[in-house]
Amino acid sequence: MTPKGNHEDTKPRRKPLDVSFVFSWFRGCILACATVAAASAQSVTYSKDIAPLIAGRCAMCHHPGGSGPFSLLSYDDVKRRAALIAAVTERRYMPPWKADPSNGPFIDQHPLSDDEIGLIRQWVAEGGAEGRPAPPAPARTWTEGWQLGKPDVVVTLPQPYVLPPDGTDAFRIFVLPIPTAAVRFVRALEFRPGNPKVVHHANIRLDTTPASRHLDEAQPGPGYDGLIAHSAQYPEGHFLGWTPGQVAPLVPKDLAWRLDVHTDLVVELHMRPSGKPEPVAPSIGLYFSDAAPTRTPAMLRLGRQSIDIPPGQKDYTITDSYVVPVDVDVQAVQPHAHYRARDVRGEATLPDGTVRPLIAIKDWDFRWQHVYRFVTPLHLLKGTRLSMRYTYDNSAENPRNPDQPPKRARWGQRSSDEMGDLWIQVLTRDAAALDTLVHDFRPKVLAEDIIGYEVEIEKRPSDAGLRDDAALLCLELGRADAAVTHFAASLGLKPGSAAAHYNLATALTVGHRLDEAAEEYRRALSIDAAYAKAHNNLGNVLMQQRKFGDAIRQYQELVRLQPSAPNGFANLAAAYAADGQFERAVEAIDAALRLQPPENVASELRRQRAAYVQRTR
Amino acid sequence: MTVSPALLSLLLSATLGAGADQVRVQTVDGESVDALAAPAGTKAIVFLFTSTDCPISNRYAPEVRRIVSEFARQGVVFRLVYPNPAEQPSAIREHMAAFAYDGAFQALRDPGLALVRHVKATVTPEAAVVAGGRVAYVGRIDDRYVDLGLERPAPTTHDLADALTAVLAGKPVSRPTTQAVGCFIADFAR
Repeated sequence: MTPKGNHEDTKPRRKPLDVSFVFSWFRGCILACATVAAASAQSVTYSKDIAPLIAGRCAMCHHPGGSGPFSLLSYDDVKRRAALIAAVTERRYMPPWKADPSNGPFIDQHPLSDDEIGLIRQWVAEGGAEGRPAPPAPARTWTEGWQLGKPDVVVTLPQPYVLPPDGTDAFRIFVLPIPTAAVRFVRALEFRPGNPKVVHHANIRLDTTPASRHLDEAQPGPGYDGLIAHSAQYPEGHFLGWTPGQVAPLVPKDLAWRLDVHTDLVVELHMRPSGKPEPVAPSIGLYFSDAAPTRTPAMLRLGRQSIDIPPGQKDYTITDSYVVPVDVDVQAVQPHAHYRARDVRGEATLPDGTVRPLIAIKDWDFRWQHVYRFVTPLHLLKGTRLSMRYTYDNSAENPRNPDQPPKRARWGQRSSDEMGDLWIQVLTRDAAALDTLVHDFRPKVLAEDIIGYEVEIEKRPSDAGLRDDAALLCLELGRADAAVTHFAASLGLKPGSAAAHYNLATALTVGHRLDEAAEEYRRALSIDAAYAKAHNNLGNVLMQQRKFGDAIRQYQELVRLQPSAPNGFANLAAAYAADGQFERAVEAIDAALRLQPPENVASELRRQRAAYVQRTR
Repeated sequence: MTVSPALLSLLLSATLGAGADQVRVQTVDGESVDALAAPAGTKAIVFLFTSTDCPISNRYAPEVRRIVSEFARQGVVFRLVYPNPAEQPSAIREHMAAFAYDGAFQALRDPGLALVRHVKATVTPEAAVVAGGRVAYVGRIDDRYVDLGLERPAPTTHDLADALTAVLAGKPVSRPTTQAVGCFIADFAR
């Protein structure tokens, strides 16, 4: 650390600690507390007033082994923290419930009312009397061990990660293979932090690819530092994650989510170093359903990836909205933003103009990222506008600003970047409505994701993988020209790659730039003559160009390379037929049929065969 | 390492500066000593008020050790003060070992809050710098914590180090008191 000269203190945005009161009270108390407590019959007492509040709102975390840094189970525990409890409840820092108390009601909602906070303040001011009768032994308001009962499978980090003692917020991603031999359907995933004193929240995803595992293996020790791979996702329509005091409940059996074999759990831990090295070994319990789900929720995401906040700006705002094309029941919402966000809100404007708040957080704190689950799902009619509005403070006056002095802040997954998402989990009336919703919504979220990729590409212009991912999203949205641009850039980064030429050719084909596409496929094949998919696709392009003889040669090469794949023979048959060579077409179809394609393909081939046979006569 | 009681009483034998009052505190072994006594040549004493289970106090351990390593060789004596009478010597020894304070600090107990009152400390963690028989600085270590539940990703001022730098240079401390954020010492007296 470097000692500095004179400093101007930054004005705290909240009321400073009233320590003079606490301290003078404390000095007086040494002499007078006993008498105060004895004298006032009307006064607030621990037994009568405070113990029930602590038991219902605090003890679920503040017990031995819990997430709280100390226990609050007895009069002695509480009176030794009395002024602290008064101070943290007054600030609404504890219990940690950031949402406006009028929102919801949500599951696991434990805010204190203003009156209850006043009661605590009064109790401390009056000296913190215990009162009579002494309260019964505090009722246990928490469950030891697994909150949802014995899991069907438990996955634990095999070797603990040792969190270094220093720093403010630490992030590390752990990749845990799930040992399942068959497809499972999951009703709940319970996260146990292992070391609840330092694990502050967990962001959980599933990766069916080896991408996350490779990132983990590339760094020594358990886990890796970096970003969650793009292939690690929420299960379709479900939230996964953990914050202290929250347990995601079992979903009804008909809503379970599918877990494929060879899936890895990707667990990003947000940890708070404690001042000494801390071993961290989280466990995850999975609870299975015996049947496949019959319903799937949809996950909507509002937000902007174009966030670009000038340094010093105090009130940068992003807004987004989406009109639901079907009736939905909102199950849960989860706002997400980083350190500079200050005011976070989402609402629903019904077709008749009525506004229903979804979530409002006036003092956003990155450290408390709950999933807010409605006790009663919020029914919204078709035509309801879901909207969000987040405000950011990128000035030096925002103590949480990670850049001092402030810098330009753009979208990005690192905690030093900014994000602004509102995830909204909804259920539709039936599968048809879900289909309508997903098809309507997907282009919106893809377009936003592409913006995010473009920001990342600007930061890491030599990352070909980003270009490829962005191009694929562009293709899905039908933006062939943008896909060509990204694939061309990717090719520029890895010029000797047959796959890069192939990708570019694919995008050119979608853009109906067939001559260029054929040229790129030929370049791919000049690098790798055994590139079967390139022969196939080049054949398809040549067919579109009505160059049937050239197409036949590509498909011939394809079936030579892949003699056991029926599709190659089927394409070859089509090319022969287009070229008027019906006998050869029939031979190729017979070759395809001998390879026993799936029945729907086989029946189509037989139909074509009959047509070709007719033409040979 | 732990400082032996004999060595500690030797270290505490001379009172720092002329005219300073005695402030009686205890060693972890229960011996009554004068908190302000220090060996000849001591330029300043830093009292760091802490408690074993205050998370804000504990998170400062690495930063505090950095400050010790920077200033101990410049004639500054560091003393870790446990004002909570409920914290027993065994818990204090465990705490010192767990947070690697052993060797960097002499540990004192202040169950009667004599030293707390003398320097007007209010929370843990809080630092007091005594030099020339006067309290030259009392307050936060740095400005990482703005309030309970409001924390900077990194501090922007280093108040304790700045105060020590000024004291060692014979200059006045520019901000002799700052507001520390943490667990209230007042609670310990309940």
